[in-house]
Amino acid sequence: MNLENLVAILPLAALIVWAVLVLLVDLWIPKSRKFITALITAAGLALSLGLTLAQNGQSRSAFGGMVAVDGFAVLLNVIFLASGLAAVALAYDYLKRMGIERGEYYALLLFSISGMMLMAYASDLIIVFLALELLSIPLYVLAGFARPRSESEESSLKYFLLGAFASGFVLYGVAMIFGATARTDLAGIVAAMGSGTGNPLLFIIGAGLLLVGFGFKVAAVPFHMWTPDVYQGAPTPVTGFMSVAVKAAGFTALLRVFTALFRGDVYADLWPLLWGMAALTMIAGNVLAISQKNIKRLLAYSSIAHAGYLLMAFVPYGTRLQGDAVASTLFYLIAYGLTSFGAWAVVVALEKNEGMGLEIEDFAGAGRRYPWLGLAMIVFMLSFTGIPLTLGFWGKLYLFRTAVEGGYIGLALVGLLTSIVSAYYYLRVLVVMYMKPGEPVAQGGPWVNILAVATAAAVVLLALFPGPILDLVSKAIMLQ
Amino acid sequence: MTALQIIFLFVAAVTLASAVMVVSARRMMHAALWLVLSLAGVAVIFALLDAGFFTVVQVLVYIGAIAILIIFAIMLTRKAMEDVGPQLNRGWWLAALAAVGVFAGLAVVLVSWPGVNASAGAGPDANLIVTFGKDLVDPHKFVMPFEVASVMLLAALIGAIYVSVEHKGGQK
Amino acid sequence: MEDWLYIGLFVFISIALPAVAIFLAGLLSPKKPNPIKNTSYECGIETVGPSWVQFKAQYYVYALVFLVFDVETIFLYPWAVAYNQLTLFGVLEAVLFILILLSGLLYAWKKGALEWM
Repeated sequence: MNLENLVAILPLAALIVWAVLVLLVDLWIPKSRKFITALITAAGLALSLGLTLAQNGQSRSAFGGMVAVDGFAVLLNVIFLASGLAAVALAYDYLKRMGIERGEYYALLLFSISGMMLMAYASDLIIVFLALELLSIPLYVLAGFARPRSESEESSLKYFLLGAFASGFVLYGVAMIFGATARTDLAGIVAAMGSGTGNPLLFIIGAGLLLVGFGFKVAAVPFHMWTPDVYQGAPTPVTGFMSVAVKAAGFTALLRVFTALFRGDVYADLWPLLWGMAALTMIAGNVLAISQKNIKRLLAYSSIAHAGYLLMAFVPYGTRLQGDAVASTLFYLIAYGLTSFGAWAVVVALEKNEGMGLEIEDFAGAGRRYPWLGLAMIVFMLSFTGIPLTLGFWGKLYLFRTAVEGGYIGLALVGLLTSIVSAYYYLRVLVVMYMKPGEPVAQGGPWVNILAVATAAAVVLLALFPGPILDLVSKAIMLQ
Repeated sequence: MTALQIIFLFVAAVTLASAVMVVSARRMMHAALWLVLSLAGVAVIFALLDAGFFTVVQVLVYIGAIAILIIFAIMLTRKAMEDVGPQLNRGWWLAALAAVGVFAGLAVVLVSWPGVNASAGAGPDANLIVTFGKDLVDPHKFVMPFEVASVMLLAALIGAIYVSVEHKGGQK
Repeated sequence: MEDWLYIGLFVFISIALPAVAIFLAGLLSPKKPNPIKNTSYECGIETVGPSWVQFKAQYYVYALVFLVFDVETIFLYPWAVAYNQLTLFGVLEAVLFILILLSGLLYAWKKGALEWM
């Protein structure tokens, strides 16, 4: 029986063991050979990825209902592990170039991914909280990884303070729900509320507190203030990882907890809040992005805007369209993740020492000088905007459809209008890259270039044949 | 009024008064020491509620480690020790309003709860801890959070050391 | 509740005893102060500078490491109380718990975080 439980979370257990291994082995790897650590890390991620794929099609719970192994967990774990591989590729040459090549980057990265994987498995509020902490704590340090550079330390401190605050909200919410129902497992809470033994007032307060906490993690307005500063100050590979994986983890928590617990009457109370949050996030993210001059800040606001689109797909979760809401959120996560990693790869390639080369003006001439990177950037910017022939287009189409069919036409309209606004600042990057003269130097190294070109190819190819991904996300059903 | 109630009222008053001192003491070091007293008061309240484990946690972790950490942090920063600036800023009434609001909200919620007047029917304390200990390593109960907690502590330890230890060789 | 009464009694006595001693000493002792008597006593050596000095940042690392292992103690305390009633598997679980944190200690050691400065 014990072995069965362990097998259920084998990909996670393997990754944690590997993380400890990387931590210890790195202590004996000389400073000039840190690439070995990177290779070991990538091998561990690949191993865990293989074990995750072997779990495909399973649907069971383990550890007395603490974790659920289902299609949802498998798909998200694949996203997290792939993000990890991308983060290793981004950092491989970057860390050496910036003079911060230290093995802790890889160990902390693996710990953070372990937390994310745990979040995907979570079917108990205790696990949700622990996963949130396990994924956040290494990230606070990673944001300040370039210490003693003051921007990086500032980023770390801001992220830590606000993140700790958000964790406090989540924990308080968990406490409220526990107070209302005397249970922490999702199934038990549903049963207690269904049988009328729970306290509905405490329960709804708990729901609100959880929404605030998770809202911080996914950077939804009005809990987004930390995002631009943290994204700008953190080392660029870390920022890229945060913009995709942390957002995915936040939405994992939202999907797991909210679709299971807050339905019926509670949903009727919650959806206006969610609606407002989604609309505000889309508007604020896109409007504030227009005036940005720094590419990292631009992409930070863009990531806020995309959190808004993801929230829009999430809003109809309590209606009869729950399956579509989950599937379209996941689809958009994949589309956004591929595009975002690609865009960050281009930024990493063009970044110079001491945080230079990050103004949009510094990209002038890059399109002509580096045709492949330029071409890739065109694909990413169009995909962010949602232009046809890119994966971003299908993502937006799917989530607009979900919103409209769920009866949230106003929200879809906001999304459509803000998408048009977003075209302005995304295309401006391309205009600078192609129309203005300049002599930028790309020195990202082979892995960054491969990542940029591969994600660009994936964004286009998967847009031409979106069938497999649609199939995948519609099969990512949660065990309930 | 029973003796227990008198003790509770006394301890609660001490806890609250020292909590007020934490935010109003002019010197940071004094504030930290008041915080220790306040935390000790909370520990006694846990004991009065027959929650032995939480008393131990409160004393061992909060007084034994976190308060020490805070005092260390104050002693490590020269500025913080000498700071004797004003204790109030312009937004103090907003904070007071928020505190009163949260208190009122919690009071309303708790009073509306049917269990608010029930007396705590806790069982013998020692057995509770034994049960808890067994549940912690029971694969059908809490073994998963138990092990994850150790991984989380490890990650926190590495992070803390990475952030605070000066790096050898150039860089700094 | 009885047990707590004893602990409460001990806490009371341990506070009262020194308080009474200090109070009585202050009450009974003759008071003839002069500047040399009023300096703080430091094993007979003259004190230099203010007593509130800044400490080395290195101490903070010890405190952090201590905090982590303190929390570990908290987790192991109920386990230790229940030790006699555990299965072998339960014991191994806690060993794994300790081993994971031990790797953290190894890291701290190798990084020089435990070196006395």
